[in-house]
Amino acid sequence: MKKGAVVKRSEGAAHHSSIFSGFSKVPLPLSPFFAFVGFFLMWPILAVTIRSFQGNKKEWTLENFRSIIHGPYLHGFVVSLKLATYTAAIGSLIGGFLAFVIIKYAGRKLTLIIDSTAAVFANSGGVPLAFMFIAAFGAQGVLTKSLKSLGWDIYAGKFTLFSFSGLLLVYTFFQVPIMIIVFKPALKGLRKEWGEASQSLGANSLTFWRRVAIPILTPSFLGAFFLLFASGFSAYATARAMTVGNVPLVPLIIGSLVDGNVIANQVNLGDALAVGMVLIAVISMSGYLLAQKYAARWRTK
Amino acid sequence: MADQVKNQIGKYILIGTSLIITILIFVFPLASASEFSFRGNFGKGHSFVNYTWLIHQEGFLPHLLLSLQLAILASAINLLLMVPTAVIANLKFPKWRPVLDFICILPLIIPVVSLAIGAQVAMPKSLQNSQFELPFFFVIIALPFTYRALDIALTSVELKTLVEASRNLGANWVLTIIRVIIPSIRSGITGALFLAFALAIGEFTLTSLLHWDTFPTWTVNASQENILGAIALSVFSFAGAIAILMFVSLIANRRASNSNLKIEEVSE
Repeated sequence: MKKGAVVKRSEGAAHHSSIFSGFSKVPLPLSPFFAFVGFFLMWPILAVTIRSFQGNKKEWTLENFRSIIHGPYLHGFVVSLKLATYTAAIGSLIGGFLAFVIIKYAGRKLTLIIDSTAAVFANSGGVPLAFMFIAAFGAQGVLTKSLKSLGWDIYAGKFTLFSFSGLLLVYTFFQVPIMIIVFKPALKGLRKEWGEASQSLGANSLTFWRRVAIPILTPSFLGAFFLLFASGFSAYATARAMTVGNVPLVPLIIGSLVDGNVIANQVNLGDALAVGMVLIAVISMSGYLLAQKYAARWRTK
Repeated sequence: MADQVKNQIGKYILIGTSLIITILIFVFPLASASEFSFRGNFGKGHSFVNYTWLIHQEGFLPHLLLSLQLAILASAINLLLMVPTAVIANLKFPKWRPVLDFICILPLIIPVVSLAIGAQVAMPKSLQNSQFELPFFFVIIALPFTYRALDIALTSVELKTLVEASRNLGANWVLTIIRVIIPSIRSGITGALFLAFALAIGEFTLTSLLHWDTFPTWTVNASQENILGAIALSVFSFAGAIAILMFVSLIANRRASNSNLKIEEVSE
């Protein structure tokens, strides 16, 4: 990257390669930003990390972390990871397919409408979403009743909306749009010339997908998967509104600890859980950034 | 000829499948919720009663006003902090842009739940006792989206060229900022403003974990008594958000194509 050059970047391409090299002092005009982020983002995370290594009398200990890898807390992590993996898989497959169809067939106006709708839905992982699905798939929901009248009682088996499988269904509603938003730029980056080139070399469209498109798209797809994983893993509001303590997700456990259900002999357990969440989120987002870097190779020029 | 027919069939299969998926995942829940929201008292008939129900609840206005106030504050802080930062980084310190890119996706990485716990540990007591701690964290949560909106606007115009031209024509910095920089990234600024505002006014996780009662948390409590009212509110908030975002992206799109046009004219 030339110094001072106006960098034209394609959407979604990230240049994180040279992040921590060759920086000395923060320029004065940028210092308010760094001060703000430092105080309201870095410092809280640092403080919670420090406290997670402290016991009830502020002595240094690993006891909090020893606790969270056992019993109900470990189970919470397992359930959260399972939910994140499943919703990321469902979201990335369906969203990837929809993104492909949008790129291929949707006109400019329609794309614009889809984009803004997707942006709203992607950020909808909140309480309103829960109520919407109760209206559709709840025991008295419109869809539940119409399916029943068609002879399919979705509540006949073990299914309820307020369970793990219910959460899977609801999370799909915001995971798919996130996938569309994240994956569309990658599909757009597939150049027409590549298709023409492979065709003139004698490849049919199946060979083109197998030998050109899929290898190029794989890093972007994996990256998007990691992003969905992180969003499914840390979602709180929807799960809080829909479950009544029957699905032990880590964010919900932290929430109930914060609400005063503190275990007397370990006041800093919640901090350790919070740090555990950050760790898992950081790992999955590193996967995302790494994949983005690979994907950017095809798009920077 | 056969190929064309095959392509056509493939096209219909693809579009058909995606329509079915869209209807199943998105249209059905939204439509069901809309139908529910217009049901009358005790589920009989159809009326607007669920939409007016919330307004008559005690605490509606105070909580709404509080949320508005917090959202306006958050948007203001956001603009004051992020517009100069993004512009200056873009013009003067391009070397720092990867660092900003990285920092500004951190709020997406760090779970809000963890940030809330951290805020309880790290913030000075005086700030924790005031509800005005919330706007600062709303700014943090909105950072990935506002920065991105500004960054896209900044990279889609040749800002450096425009600024040099304005300086060469004798404009001072103040004039350049007011007459050149701000108008050329107006779409980004409006986008960032709307996003910051929308996120702040609907924020639930952090607010409830820090034990504050704003409009979103109050509605959740109030709606425990009336599920139809809660569903009506959900429908309303979705429709409103989509309308606002479409409006913003329409403006942004027009502005962006306008300013590109101008550059081309100038360079010719």
